[in-house]
Amino acid sequence: MARPGDGGALSGRTLLRVICTAGSGALEYTHAFITAYTADHLRGAVAQRLSVGAYELLANALNFGSVSSDIVIELIESDNMVGVRVANDAISARISMLNEHLLKLKTNAEQTFLEELRRSVTGGIPRPMLGLARVTHEAGLMLDLQVQERRVSVTAQCRR
Amino acid sequence: MSQFATVQAPKAETIAIQVTAPNQVKLSGTITQKDPANDLAGFFKALHTAAVADRLAEVRADVSGLTFVNSSAIRLFVDWATWVKNERGHRYTLRFVTSRNVTWQKTSFMALMSLAKEVLAIEHVP
Repeated sequence: MARPGDGGALSGRTLLRVICTAGSGALEYTHAFITAYTADHLRGAVAQRLSVGAYELLANALNFGSVSSDIVIELIESDNMVGVRVANDAISARISMLNEHLLKLKTNAEQTFLEELRRSVTGGIPRPMLGLARVTHEAGLMLDLQVQERRVSVTAQCRR
Repeated sequence: MSQFATVQAPKAETIAIQVTAPNQVKLSGTITQKDPANDLAGFFKALHTAAVADRLAEVRADVSGLTFVNSSAIRLFVDWATWVKNERGHRYTLRFVTSRNVTWQKTSFMALMSLAKEVLAIEHVP
């Protein structure tokens, strides 16, 4: 069972590193490239899970990150684990919100997924954050958050 | 004459859509654009309106070939289920045909069932 936030920092070999900036097509084309790469290099089920992780982490970075900073997306593998890491700059309010959301997911990923799905219908503030709930509940990836000043780095990882 | 069959499928880059009389719509490919509602929300709404006008007992939405969708696209399916649930005139069963091999379909439609089980049916294909 995935335990978001319990994953710990993933260190190992970087298989792929893409640097992108916010703009038309950044999400779709970067995701398509990473999906193709993972499908070619990893087991099918793992590739599918990481594809969800890559998309949603990148979408979050583009939606909530500072527009002036680069977004770095990496595919990393260690002996046992493989993961996708997205790093971007963000303002402190966004970082607090992310932290809070990850804590909720850590407590109960399934319940949070359902809540966010429900909020998709009713709307609300802050706006629904279904993406990270998908990463943990649907894709079963463990999330790790590292913050250094304004630089936020989120890793979604699983066993290889 | 079936209104359902005359609903025009939008042209989207990564997704193939086929509407078949009397009550089937099949979607395959991926939905990755940032705001898929631009292409699909109006289309789903038109299918819903036509299904009500045709007084269909069931609409079959075959999504088994949709290998990846983003969370904005999942919201569109939630919206569709909500329209049926809140329909005051003719209500039909919205049957999603899903694949067991595609992870997002297992979790999302199971969750969707818990939100609108009175109007939804889920069918699995291998």
